[in-house]
Amino acid sequence: MASNFWTSTHYKELKDPEEVNVVHPLDAQRGISVEDFRLIKLHMSNYISKLAQHIKIRQRVIATAVTYMRRVYTRKSLTEYEPRLVAPTCLYLACKAEESVVHAKLLVFYMKKLYADEKFRYEIKDILEMEMKVLEALNFYLVVFHPYRSLPEFLQDSGINDTSMTHLTWGLVNDTYRMDLILIHPPFLITLACIYIASVHKEKDIRTWFEELSVDMNIVKNIAMEILDFYENHRLFTEERVHAAFNKLATNP
Amino acid sequence: MAKEIKTGEIVALKKIRMDNEREGFPITAIREIKILKKLHHENVIHLKEIVTSPGRDRDDQGKPDNNKYKGGIYMVFEYMDHDLTGLADRPGLRFTVPQIKCYMKQLLTGLHYCHVNQVLHRDIKGSNLLIDNEGNLKLADFGLARSFSHDHTGNLTNRVITLWYRPPELLLGATKYGPAIDMWSVGCIFAELLNGKPILPGKTESEQLNKIYELCGSPDENNWPGVSKMPWYGQMKSSRPLKRRVREIYRHFDRHALELLEKMLVLDPAQRISAKDALDAEYFWTDPLPCDPKSLPTYESSHEFQTKKKRQQMRHNEEAAKKQKLQHPPQQHSRLPPQQHGVGQSHAAPHWPAGPNHPMNNNAPPPQIPAGGPGGHYYGKPRGGAPGQNRYPPSGNQPGGYNNQSRGGYSSGSYPPQGRGAPYAAGPRGPSGGYGVGPPNYSQGGGQYGGSGGSGRGQNPMGGARNQQYGWQ
Repeated sequence: MASNFWTSTHYKELKDPEEVNVVHPLDAQRGISVEDFRLIKLHMSNYISKLAQHIKIRQRVIATAVTYMRRVYTRKSLTEYEPRLVAPTCLYLACKAEESVVHAKLLVFYMKKLYADEKFRYEIKDILEMEMKVLEALNFYLVVFHPYRSLPEFLQDSGINDTSMTHLTWGLVNDTYRMDLILIHPPFLITLACIYIASVHKEKDIRTWFEELSVDMNIVKNIAMEILDFYENHRLFTEERVHAAFNKLATNP
Repeated sequence: MAKEIKTGEIVALKKIRMDNEREGFPITAIREIKILKKLHHENVIHLKEIVTSPGRDRDDQGKPDNNKYKGGIYMVFEYMDHDLTGLADRPGLRFTVPQIKCYMKQLLTGLHYCHVNQVLHRDIKGSNLLIDNEGNLKLADFGLARSFSHDHTGNLTNRVITLWYRPPELLLGATKYGPAIDMWSVGCIFAELLNGKPILPGKTESEQLNKIYELCGSPDENNWPGVSKMPWYGQMKSSRPLKRRVREIYRHFDRHALELLEKMLVLDPAQRISAKDALDAEYFWTDPLPCDPKSLPTYESSHEFQTKKKRQQMRHNEEAAKKQKLQHPPQQHSRLPPQQHGVGQSHAAPHWPAGPNHPMNNNAPPPQIPAGGPGGHYYGKPRGGAPGQNRYPPSGNQPGGYNNQSRGGYSSGSYPPQGRGAPYAAGPRGPSGGYGVGPPNYSQGGGQYGGSGGSGRGQNPMGGARNQQYGWQ
């Protein structure tokens, strides 16, 4: 979507980090911690990617879907908005919003194919019903700007647009959707943070280029630190912990 | 028309129909919402918010439905008093030159903004151009609009734009197109404003194309390189070569107006003028200059459907007057547009409460938000209806529209069934009702319906005893 980010709902709805990781009181009653909350969102982001890759949906649509899902949980509880239904529904909605429609039937087919687990089994009517609830939860705020858009431009401009850098930064941007960064920071800063990490990793000195940009490098470095922290902790996010978190959700307080 | 009084503010509602949707929330509505949320311009309608009506909504059959959201989602817009068609339809009303320039300039400014933001409107026509009482014109109804990319790579549907305003490339089956399609519609509207009536009122796609050929000449590889490769060129080409006659037919137009119109009504989309270039046209920079919107006269609220409604009421009033044998001579009003209607039309729109004593003003109590019936209409355009009877030809019907019946638009189904056939009084600009009223003189600037008391002006042209009020605002 063209048009100006600074006048968009995306910009207006950006949140402080403290606002994003607030566990809904209903979930807290079930013993969900901030860590559990984060874990479930991460797990659901992975679920969306996996599902989308099977249906062969573009990365951008995945990014939009994950953003929708994360937006929903800034307002709604996991208890009332079952993540295993919300996630595919967000994908379904994102496909429409990004003009690459996938029929509900196909989506449901792959959901069943991917997970034999009862808890992931939903029918078309469940998706359609949840779609309305998701739209309401999003307050019909569907426009998402992604860090991908400015990526090629920045790489070109900084003069490090070789294939390996492109691949690395693109992958880094993909991984930012496992966090809530897209809800918190303007997308181009996320792009810059990914380029920053990649440049340090590949030992390409583009400090002068960064200095010439009129952006607050502290924010960029902070985002980069968050991404690196995420990688650091990534191996701690085990299946068991995800299960434990979901089990808490299933218990009645 | 849907009105809601919320914190004293009047807004317009557009209902998003969820019936017959197998794929959940309609993608057309998603497009419209996304597009409207990203467009912020004084000449583009402002989407205030989206509301869902709480609780269960009655559906058309009155039976409860499993999906509690069915029929209960509305887009809330700023309220606009008029649409261009409604305004132009006001009997006897003639726009002044500065007024036409003012509307055209705003239309082009709004459209240029859309095009810069890579949005095609795809349904530019008079009833989608809303005008408020401060003379501001805004583009509305983005139900068929789409984002486009500049390389025109995507395949888009050619079943868009109301037939009379549909450009030749769509009629010839193009699926790759750009902003030029909207500019054709603008040209049609421009000519309509100058001409006083629609210029290309085709009934079918082939008739439409023939009308275009008769006006603009038949396309060939000289005036439109590549035309012979258009999908439907073979079956839709002109039987004999025709000459371009725009200049001849509209020779009475002002020189600069004609010059601009010539550039808009160009067959080849690649050579058609862009909104930006049109704004630079001599027409807008020569005397008389476009007027300030604020200086325009304000009119009683008029939408296309309301002018229709008024005609019906007038007819009732007239009948009542005849019964009473109150045959006063018609009064000439210098400022007020007389209420006219075609004679002898069969009006069959029982859903308008038009009793003989029904007041003429439009201050009927506004329907509440969750109203299931006519309240769900967006700017109240009449939907559906038998072809030929309707004032407007069916709009381009896009697959997967809100409601696939009868029109690509919204909610034709939410009229009560008997209302479906509500004819737009055929021939709205036809012979006047025989009241012998001349066209009112809308003098530029001072047109606020005067300032003196309303006693003399509120009179019914038929001399009926009713206390009629023209609700100048």
